[in-house]
Amino acid sequence: MSSAASSTTHGSAVQRWLAPIVWLSLLLLLTLGMGHLEWLFRLLEPDLRQVIYRRADFLTLLGQHVLVVGIASLLAVALGVSAAVAVTRKFGRDFLPLVSQLASIGQTFPPVAVLALAVPALGFGTLPIIVALLLYGLLPIVRNTLAGIDSIDPQVHEAARAMGMTPWQVLRQVELPLAAPFILAGIRTSVTINIATAALGTTVGASNLGDPIISGIVNGNTAYIVQGAVLIGLLALAVDSLFERLQRRG
Amino acid sequence: MIELFDVTKRFGDETAVDGISLRVEKGELCALVGTSGCGKSTTLRMINRLIEHDGGEIHLDGQPVRSFDEVALRRRIGYVIQSTGLFPHWTVARNIGLVPRLLKWPKGKVRDRVEELMQLLGLPVAEFADKYPRQLSGGQAQRVGVARALAADPDILLMDEPFGALDPITRATLQDELRVLQARLHKTVVFVTHDMDEALALADRLVVMHQGRIVQQGSPVELLREPANPFVESLLGGMDRGLKEAALIQVSEHMLPLGPRLLASERIPYGASLSQALSVMLWHRVDRLTVVDEEDIPIGELSLRRLLGAKVP
Repeated sequence: MSSAASSTTHGSAVQRWLAPIVWLSLLLLLTLGMGHLEWLFRLLEPDLRQVIYRRADFLTLLGQHVLVVGIASLLAVALGVSAAVAVTRKFGRDFLPLVSQLASIGQTFPPVAVLALAVPALGFGTLPIIVALLLYGLLPIVRNTLAGIDSIDPQVHEAARAMGMTPWQVLRQVELPLAAPFILAGIRTSVTINIATAALGTTVGASNLGDPIISGIVNGNTAYIVQGAVLIGLLALAVDSLFERLQRRG
Repeated sequence: MIELFDVTKRFGDETAVDGISLRVEKGELCALVGTSGCGKSTTLRMINRLIEHDGGEIHLDGQPVRSFDEVALRRRIGYVIQSTGLFPHWTVARNIGLVPRLLKWPKGKVRDRVEELMQLLGLPVAEFADKYPRQLSGGQAQRVGVARALAADPDILLMDEPFGALDPITRATLQDELRVLQARLHKTVVFVTHDMDEALALADRLVVMHQGRIVQQGSPVELLREPANPFVESLLGGMDRGLKEAALIQVSEHMLPLGPRLLASERIPYGASLSQALSVMLWHRVDRLTVVDEEDIPIGELSLRRLLGAKVP
């Protein structure tokens, strides 16, 4: 970083990306180097034989965590944005109240309950947690996309039509770009919440950073709980600061 | 040429436009005037099918507007609205080039056209091309709005209170510019306004609307001389009508040749309006003015006595 700081352009670029870089490096350092902190966790649980979670390595767990959240979020974005777009078209206006209600219910439904319902239907493993996260992450995206489209000056919309843009061109060139800051904010909320919620996947057999937490609770090992919780927290902070960066550019 | 035959539009139980028939000749500027809610904007928006009419027919050069694809139809009709409706996320140049790009003009041709229009509307390219709408004053933004409407060189221009949101000085400037522009481009223009002075100043033909119907149409002078009813008369300004008519007449039309008499001491340019001449006479308490050309050389005189004796047109 010191060599980059010597040049002003690099310096400002690093400065702008400072928060995401710091959180990401901390996350990676801790993921790879947890074993070296045995002395620290020994202070926490002096009587236990093992204070570092070793049933799977943290990098694999982190990878699985990111994968599950990533897939669920991509699906939630695709589904949420299309649903919001569909109900703001002429043909879908009638469904506007229904969709915003469904999205709200998705949020009030506890993810644990979604899991409980999803397991009998989809079996154990990664699929039920993806479904739960998808449903849970839908609301902020639908709500913000609706708000974003709603925020567009009706006169701008009318001008777009009056100039002879097709409905598709109005959507692609006017509505989505103008609603983008809102949509991005919705995705940010959705992804950040889901990073924390994904830990529940462990209870239905999807292994991820929730594993050390659940195992710690079951075995009464606070050190395990702290290791899982800290990594999940750092992941959430890293991703959140990344989104903040993106939002400020837009 | 735009023709409306017995056109009707209802919103629910309310009849917004009630069987109006209208003919706007090619190259004519037709102003639709009336109080708010009289159906003038609805009428305008039925021409480019932003609103579909319920009854009657609307023809463009003899063809019903319904026979065109609505997207293709709108690309050949310019449209200017009060709030400009510029895209806030696009630069001035990109906003102006919208319709040519929709029509898939080659890039170079779009760029040339955008620069040509910016010059035409007094927007220096170097200064304005890369600005965003929020960085413009109201007058500049509306110039961009007019440039965007003219970009693909449409024959027809629809303008919905285009200068309604501007301060009086900017409004007057843009009205003058539109007059000069129209004298050059000869578009077929339908211009909606509630400002009678604006309509009198710009229009070849005035159409007064009230409660969805046409109350009277004709040239500005015809309306001033013979308002059909008290509503039109009050819209035209009642007792101010004489001055409003005088504002439409140039001094040169009533100028007399220089006689053997001494030149009158007060001067008036030959391009000034009769109402301005009357104002000068009132101010200086004189009944004669010397008419001068651009170089301030006397070319004739204006006499109040002769004006009062002049025949009504």
